[in-house]
Amino acid sequence: MPQWVVVTIVIVLYLGLTLTIGLLAGRRQSDSVAGYVAADRSFGLLVMYFVTGASVFSAFAFLGGPGWAYSRGAAAFYILAYGALGMAPFYWIGPRIAELGRRHGFVTQAQLVTGRFPSRGLSAFIALLSLIAFVPYVTIQMRGAGIVIEAVTDGHVPLWLGALVAYGIVIVYVLSAGAMAVGWTNTFQGIFMIVIAWTLGLYLPWRLYGGVGAMFERIEEARPELLVPPGLDATGQPWTWGAFSTFILVSAVGLMMWPHLFMKAFTAKDDDTLRRTVILFPTFQLFLIPVFLIGFSGVLFAGSPPTPDFILPFMVLETGLPPLVVGLFCAGALSASMSTGDALLHASASVVVEDGVAKFVDVDEHRQRTLMRALVLLTGVTAYAFALDPDSSLVLLLASAYGIIAQFAPPVVAALYWRRATTAGVFAGLAAGTATAFFFWLNPGFKPFDMHEGVLGLGVHIAVLVGVSLATPVQDEAHLARYLV
Amino acid sequence: MTALRLARLLTGLYFTTALVFVTWPGLVPFARARPFVLGLPFAMAWIAAWVAGAVVVLVLLDRVERRHRSDEPRHRSDGSSGPAGGPR
Repeated sequence: MPQWVVVTIVIVLYLGLTLTIGLLAGRRQSDSVAGYVAADRSFGLLVMYFVTGASVFSAFAFLGGPGWAYSRGAAAFYILAYGALGMAPFYWIGPRIAELGRRHGFVTQAQLVTGRFPSRGLSAFIALLSLIAFVPYVTIQMRGAGIVIEAVTDGHVPLWLGALVAYGIVIVYVLSAGAMAVGWTNTFQGIFMIVIAWTLGLYLPWRLYGGVGAMFERIEEARPELLVPPGLDATGQPWTWGAFSTFILVSAVGLMMWPHLFMKAFTAKDDDTLRRTVILFPTFQLFLIPVFLIGFSGVLFAGSPPTPDFILPFMVLETGLPPLVVGLFCAGALSASMSTGDALLHASASVVVEDGVAKFVDVDEHRQRTLMRALVLLTGVTAYAFALDPDSSLVLLLASAYGIIAQFAPPVVAALYWRRATTAGVFAGLAAGTATAFFFWLNPGFKPFDMHEGVLGLGVHIAVLVGVSLATPVQDEAHLARYLV
Repeated sequence: MTALRLARLLTGLYFTTALVFVTWPGLVPFARARPFVLGLPFAMAWIAAWVAGAVVVLVLLDRVERRHRSDEPRHRSDGSSGPAGGPR
């Protein structure tokens, strides 16, 4: 049997298993909006840990991570650095959000912010920004899935078909079962990813160089610049400290503000579950070490993939592994893509319906669920259209998506902790911060010290939020008491 | 109460220090390949160590927070009946 047939069989079995888990999970959940969006607030520690970990680790980490280590060396270390920093504040913020969610019935981020700062315009603005940040993110995941499948089947299953099948399955279980399906499939996929990453990350350096240390000794002789931060930029020139540092900062601030991650606070069974998820999260982060090792193992390898993002499937195929093993590795990469893609699709539909539509039109629970399902499909189709465009510069868009998402942090912190903040201040700050980030994204030449546009946006955002809030009247005392401790 | 404050202060301090030492300028003196640690270039092991340290710090913080919470009347934490409706 030719290799690609065996690989395809393994992948089909894997996809079938994922679909089964997704569909079975949905049978345990109520038929309400809280059920579809927040899984009836029922997730225990195991599911929460993997939901959070597997949603963070996307095709960007599993394919892009090795790609960065391979082509840009130590620049990739920024991905390792920001996760723990970004997650830690959630030890305190998470339970506060969960408490307000239970008290006021919130299931999305914008509901929390506009609960404290009532404004339908603000709600719609947050929904719109979320969607702008989500679509390119979903597109990257779909392309990732398509790339892996095309590469390992020797082109017998082209990108368009691979992405279609993988995401057809994702959409089926997200449509039918919502948050519960996302939770249980991510648990399965998260375990799978960790095992695959460590196995491959240790095996490749051992097989090609005789060990991890030996591999880095060889790289140090041939390409010493790859091992020292801040590493290289996309063109192979030295990267700047300004960019390296502000990428860490903006990613740390933005990490938990991604609506699909933020909303996990509403799905946890209790506060202890949330806190333990935060405590254990950095252990998931360490899984980037083998991911980088995979990329580094390709540096001195003869031959090179078409683009750095192909390095993982390239190494798997070129080192003569048995087809069964190749199939498993590819299923791991698919896990990374699908486990983030499902969470993104699910969250984007929830956000648009809850914060964009339900604020303006009166829709009952049943209609809301129907509308959410329609939007999952629509977002999926939109992202799929972009994924097929080989010239789409979506990697650029994705980097900027963090610049938008990080702008959600000041409103959330103000809603939870700052009694003097006002609706006008938060709205003005969000608008100014987003506009600033967008301006520097369009005009990178103006960026001081090569800083990430999201950090520049945050600077303006916070100044405007504080200034306008102080210039407008303080909120009603009874209202404040419902949100602040 | 003081133990709790101290624990929170130290945790905050740890993460602030971590941020300084994994970005400019704190990372500059440690941005080198040698010596290797467990086969990894020094800068990579250095950043990984701050991540691993975060687990230890958070576990210690949680022990203090937990003792503090058990002294207080428990918050409702079963999450069974939010206004949006629980399991039916």
